[in-house]
Amino acid sequence: MSSSSPSNRPRTIRVLLAKLGLDAHTIGVTVIAKSLRDAGMEVVYSGLKQTPEMVVATAIQEDVDVVGISSLSAAHMNHLPRVIELLKAEGVGDKLIIAGGVIPKEDGETLKAQGVAEVFTMGTETATIVRYIEDWWATR
Amino acid sequence: MPDGKSVESYVSKREPIEQGTSSDDGADLDANFKRWETETLAPALESAPERKEKFRTQALKWDVNRLYSPRDLEAIDFDFNRDVGFPGEFPYTRGTDPNGYRSRLWTMAQVTGFGTGEDWATRADYMLEQGLDGLIIEYDLPTTNGLDSDHPLAAGEVGRAGVAIDSLEDMERALSFDFSKLKHLTSVCNGPQPVNLAMIIAATEKKGIDPASFTLQMPNAILIEYTCVGRYIYPPEHGLRVATDVIEYTIRNQPHWVPIAVVSAQLYAARANPVQELAFGFSIAMEYLDSVLERGLTIDEVAPYFSFITGVDMDFFEAIGKLRAYRKVWARLLTERYGAKSEASLRLKLMSSPGTMSMTLQQPLNNISRLSMQMLSCVLGGGAQTMTSPLHDEAHALPSEEAIAVGAAIQNIVAHESGTADTIDPLAGSYYVESMTRRIEDAVMAEIEKIDAMGGALEAIKTGYFQRELAREQFDRNKEIEDGSRKLVGVNHLAKDDEERQIELFALDPGSEQRQIERLEALRKRRDNTKVDAALGRVRAAAESDENLMPSVLEAVKVLATQGEICDVLREAFGVYTPDSLTSGV
Repeated sequence: MSSSSPSNRPRTIRVLLAKLGLDAHTIGVTVIAKSLRDAGMEVVYSGLKQTPEMVVATAIQEDVDVVGISSLSAAHMNHLPRVIELLKAEGVGDKLIIAGGVIPKEDGETLKAQGVAEVFTMGTETATIVRYIEDWWATR
Repeated sequence: MPDGKSVESYVSKREPIEQGTSSDDGADLDANFKRWETETLAPALESAPERKEKFRTQALKWDVNRLYSPRDLEAIDFDFNRDVGFPGEFPYTRGTDPNGYRSRLWTMAQVTGFGTGEDWATRADYMLEQGLDGLIIEYDLPTTNGLDSDHPLAAGEVGRAGVAIDSLEDMERALSFDFSKLKHLTSVCNGPQPVNLAMIIAATEKKGIDPASFTLQMPNAILIEYTCVGRYIYPPEHGLRVATDVIEYTIRNQPHWVPIAVVSAQLYAARANPVQELAFGFSIAMEYLDSVLERGLTIDEVAPYFSFITGVDMDFFEAIGKLRAYRKVWARLLTERYGAKSEASLRLKLMSSPGTMSMTLQQPLNNISRLSMQMLSCVLGGGAQTMTSPLHDEAHALPSEEAIAVGAAIQNIVAHESGTADTIDPLAGSYYVESMTRRIEDAVMAEIEKIDAMGGALEAIKTGYFQRELAREQFDRNKEIEDGSRKLVGVNHLAKDDEERQIELFALDPGSEQRQIERLEALRKRRDNTKVDAALGRVRAAAESDENLMPSVLEAVKVLATQGEICDVLREAFGVYTPDSLTSGV
C-alpha cells in the first residue's frame, strides 16, 4: 500500500554473480556479493559448477541487468566466450557483462573484444566495481 | 555420541590458585609497574605517542596490551603442570614428541601437482632430490570432483591445478618415482577418496612397493568441502558415509596409513580466525569419530588414525598460540568427551604450513620473507610432525623449480641455522604466549559448545552456519585491506604501480590435456568392458547397502574402471549436492 508511485523510484539494479565450470574459489564472489548488496543492488548467486547454458538461463529467468562472472581457475577461456555467445543468441546481449578474478591481461583483452565490458583483476577495490556498475546504469 | 562424550568440566578439575609465598613480591611488582608507568613510560609517550589508537591481533582482533607481566598469568590461574607440563605428556602444550626436535626434525614436505602422471613423477623425483622427504600430491579439478578428463566441465582444467588421474594406469605413472626417498605422501582427493585410495593400493601392489615403507595420509576431509572448498559430490550425509568407509577400511586393512586428515588449513584459507579454525575443525573431526565408532571400533583403535593439517597466518603470536592450543584442545576433547586412554589417541598428529593465503601476488619475492617468519612460528609453536612450505610464486602460477628449491631451503635454514629447533617449546612461560594460548583454548571450547548446541558440525554445515561465519570474516578482512587498517606490504603499503613481474614462472605444456583425453579414450576401448560393467554393478550394490564401498571400488579400479565411471555410480546411488543461498555462504 505504498503511496508513492513506483515509477518515481529508481529500479534496483539486478546482478547475477556466476561461477563457471569447476572453479570453486568463492571468497571473491562472496565479498563482491555483499559489497553490491550494501550498495543497494539485488544479487542473485548462481552457485558452483555451472555451465554457460545454466548461467544464461538464470540470467534470463531472473531478469538481471548485469552478469558478473568470477573466475579463478584455468578455464575462463573455455566458458566465458560461450556465455557471451549464448546471451547474444537469446537476444539479451544488452546486459552488462563483467568478469573478475585471475584473468591474465592477454585473455582479458580477448574477452573484451568479444563483449565483456570490463575485467576486474585481483586487487581491484570493491568500490571500483560498485561505481562501474552504477555509472553504466546511469548512462545506459 | 559415545558415552564418554558427556562433559566433565575441565575448570572444576583445576586446583585452587596457590597464593604466592611472598606477598611482598606481588606488592613490589604492582608498585614497580606503577612507578615504571609514571616515571619512565609517561615521559616517553609524551614525546612519542603510540603509532595506533588500538593494537589488536590480526585475525581475532583481541586487544594487545602494551606489556605482559606475571599479573596476566594470575588472571588466567596459570598453573605450570596443568597448562604447560612436559613434552610428550598430557596436555601436550609443549609438543607431542618427548624430545621436541632434538632427536628428529619434522618431515619436510611440499605440495605439487600438474600435468599427467609422468609429469608428476618427474617433479616428485626433483623434489625428493631437494632434500624433502614428504610429498603432497594435488589432483586437478576434474579428478577431485570425480569426473573424467573428457567430461564437458573438465574442459580447460585437465592437469592444470593438479595432476590428472582417470584410471589405475595414470596412478601407476604418477607413482613411478623413487620411493626409497619417500617417508610421507599426502594424497588430496576428498570427494572421490575411496577411488583414490583404491588406485594407490592397486598401484603400489603392482609395483611391489611395501605399504609400510611410507605413510600415506588421505585428507578424506569431505565435510570441509561443503564448508568452504566446494569440491563436494554427494549430499553431506553420504559424503560422511563414504569418508567413514575409507577410515574403517584403512584401519582394518592398511594399518600403516592415515585415512583422515581434517584440513583446518582450508578453513583458515577461507579466512577462519584461529578460534573458528580449531572449533569448526574439531567439531568436524568429532562427526567422523562418532561415525567410525558406530562401526564397532573403540576410541583408542580409531583416534590414533586421525590427523590434522593447519596453516599459520602472519600474526606471529596468534600462530604460536594456535599451535599450542591445537594440541591441548585435542587431548582434552579425547579424554573429557571420549574417555580415550592411549597416548597415541591423545597425541595430535599435525601437519602445519605457512599459509598460502598470506602470499601476495604483488612483489612476490617478499613472500620468501613471509614464509620464513611463518616457518619460524610453526617451529616455535612446537608445530608439527610434518611441515610444508608453500612457495613464493604461489599466487601467480604453479610453482617453478626455483621456488621449490627456495621453499625447501627455508625449512632447512630454520631447522639448522636459527637454533629454534634445539630446545623444546622455548616460548613456554612467556606472559604473552601463555595468555594467548589459554585464551584461544577457552574460546575454542566455548565455540565447540555452541556448535554442539546446534547439533554438531553436520547440522552447522546443513544450516550454513560455518559458511556464513566464514563469509563475514572474508568480507571484514577485505575491508581492512581496502581501508588500510591492515597493512600488506606491496598491496596497500609500499605498493608500486604497474609493477613488472620479477620472477620466472612455470609454464605448463598446453598439449597435455589433449594427450590425457586420447589416452583415456584408448583405455576405454582396450580394457575388458564386460568386467568393468560387472565391477561397477558391485559398487552400486555396495552403495545401496551398508556394505563398505572399498572392496568393490578396489575391484573396479583393478579392471580399469575410470574414476568418473565409479563416481557416476555413486552419484546415481547418493544424489548430487547443490547448496542453496543459505548454505553457499554467498
